Amino acid sequence: MELFDATNAAAEAATYDAAQPRKGFFTDTTLCIGCKACEVACKEWNQLPSDGYDFTAQSYDNTGELNGTTWRHVAFVEQLGAGRSEAAAAPHRDAVIGSVAGRWLMESDVCKHCTHAACLDVCPTGALIRTEFGTVVVQQDVCNGCGYCVPACPFGVIDKREDTDGHAGKCTLCYDRLKDGETPACAKACPTQSIQYGDLDELRTRADARLEQVRANGQFHDASLYLRGEDDGIGGAGAFFLLLDRPEVYGLPPDPVDTTRDLPKMWRAAARTALAIVGVTAVAALVTRR
Amino acid sequence: MGDAAVPQSYYGRPVVKPHVWKPYIPWYFWIGGTAGAAAVQCVAARARGEHRLATVYKRTALAGVIIAPPLLIADLGVPLRFLNMLRVFKPTSPMSVGSWILTAFGGAVAASTAAEVLGWERTSRGLEVLAALFGPPLTVYTAVLLADTATPVWHAAYDDLPHVFAASGIAGAAAMGAMFAPYEESRMARRLMTLGAIALPLGSRVMQKRLGPLLAEPYRVGEGGSFRRMSGMLALAGAALSIAGGRNAAVTKVAAACVAAAGVFERFAVLAAGKQSAQDPKYTVQPQRERLAAHSG
Repeated sequence: MELFDATNAAAEAATYDAAQPRKGFFTDTTLCIGCKACEVACKEWNQLPSDGYDFTAQSYDNTGELNGTTWRHVAFVEQLGAGRSEAAAAPHRDAVIGSVAGRWLMESDVCKHCTHAACLDVCPTGALIRTEFGTVVVQQDVCNGCGYCVPACPFGVIDKREDTDGHAGKCTLCYDRLKDGETPACAKACPTQSIQYGDLDELRTRADARLEQVRANGQFHDASLYLRGEDDGIGGAGAFFLLLDRPEVYGLPPDPVDTTRDLPKMWRAAARTALAIVGVTAVAALVTRR
Repeated sequence: MGDAAVPQSYYGRPVVKPHVWKPYIPWYFWIGGTAGAAAVQCVAARARGEHRLATVYKRTALAGVIIAPPLLIADLGVPLRFLNMLRVFKPTSPMSVGSWILTAFGGAVAASTAAEVLGWERTSRGLEVLAALFGPPLTVYTAVLLADTATPVWHAAYDDLPHVFAASGIAGAAAMGAMFAPYEESRMARRLMTLGAIALPLGSRVMQKRLGPLLAEPYRVGEGGSFRRMSGMLALAGAALSIAGGRNAAVTKVAAACVAAAGVFERFAVLAAGKQSAQDPKYTVQPQRERLAAHSG
């Protein structure tokens, strides 16, 4: 457990000389209209290439996923007829899409900037760092593209960039803009304030109030805050969400874990096995006739 | 609506990303694992006075440390930055720890070989023992590397994956001994080879059993299943040949080839099953849902 606590990089960031209050995103999906302005603003500011013109034929989402060159992704969930989750049903919010009862859910997904960040923990070069804003950033000139962070991320966010030299890429929370006291490009471009940027403490307070509000209105009984707390498997996130259905409906893991939490147990299991290799070999050497 | 039983997903898309390693990596896992176990068996053979067998093991370890780094470097997105692996020592990163283990092991094996060439026998033997200390960690760290990810079948198997990799390492090194050492000196190697060949599919079976029906699936279907079955058949064929025809030098060599190949296929099976388990969101969502239900219930 000590290993895990010692790697709480968010706590380390607070020891920086230039330490700032931890910054983050609160993405309120009740306000998202699926316009994808955040995706475009992100690509523009961070000079990320297009992903081509893929047609998913699944919904109005043709982006599909976060990857090395897509750092904001607007999920578009179409719940029509039998396809919808009854657990999240709120009848008076039903829209009529064509002649079918149902609803659309939109959510702008992004790197969660975890308190216990698996990508940062497993990075062998130290290319992934915690900034003075408590965010997680890839140093592009240090990363050697080993790819370890890719399967390590419990959210499937970070990926190798095939457009450049193959280093890892993900949301930086617009580190360069933050340094100048600016708002990240996506939050700046969002026309409905679905993406809200600010001090994490303040965002959490705001999110709690917003949750109470939407529940009190009787609109979204099943609304919940996702990654709002600090008692989950990643020790809380810098980017958290107000969702209207289960996380997995949006492609998010219901109980994400930074597996480095279990690393001491893993090394103990490996150490026992390493000793067994010596033991088995020694026994074979002793009992086998020459 | 019973949605706990049928996990929901976002158009069936993966929640976690599958690994992006090329086949260099399973090959490295096998070569590194074999080299690590070979260093241990080298010291054992030396203690038994079987110096020709010890030399085969030592050359196996040397071949491993020569081939392994290029494989690892070839897989990097930015190969020229491979030295960044030694920029820091990070206990939270099994890949960082592993890079240092490989460096130490490689240094010991290379130095021991150099001392041997120079005729410094005692130094050479001492360095062989040093290599044997770093050998087992080299064989098993790769299991920790895989287990410390969000890939469902890897993380859930963190107790069992080292056994599978150790069995493959022992079997692979012993197969080299049985293959290349003079027959009259390879008795220990043959015995370890048979043992490893039985332990490998057994370890894999135990791992699948403990993963449970859902997470064992990627080892049954698709590429993961095919590789795993190939590995199992080759291991058992190798063990059977070694037991039944162990008195014949030619049959022993065929058995050794089977056992070595079984280890390679097992590494490919683990990488393929990991990819499959990341690609289908049910393997990620369902165990997490069950975990949440267990906590709240």
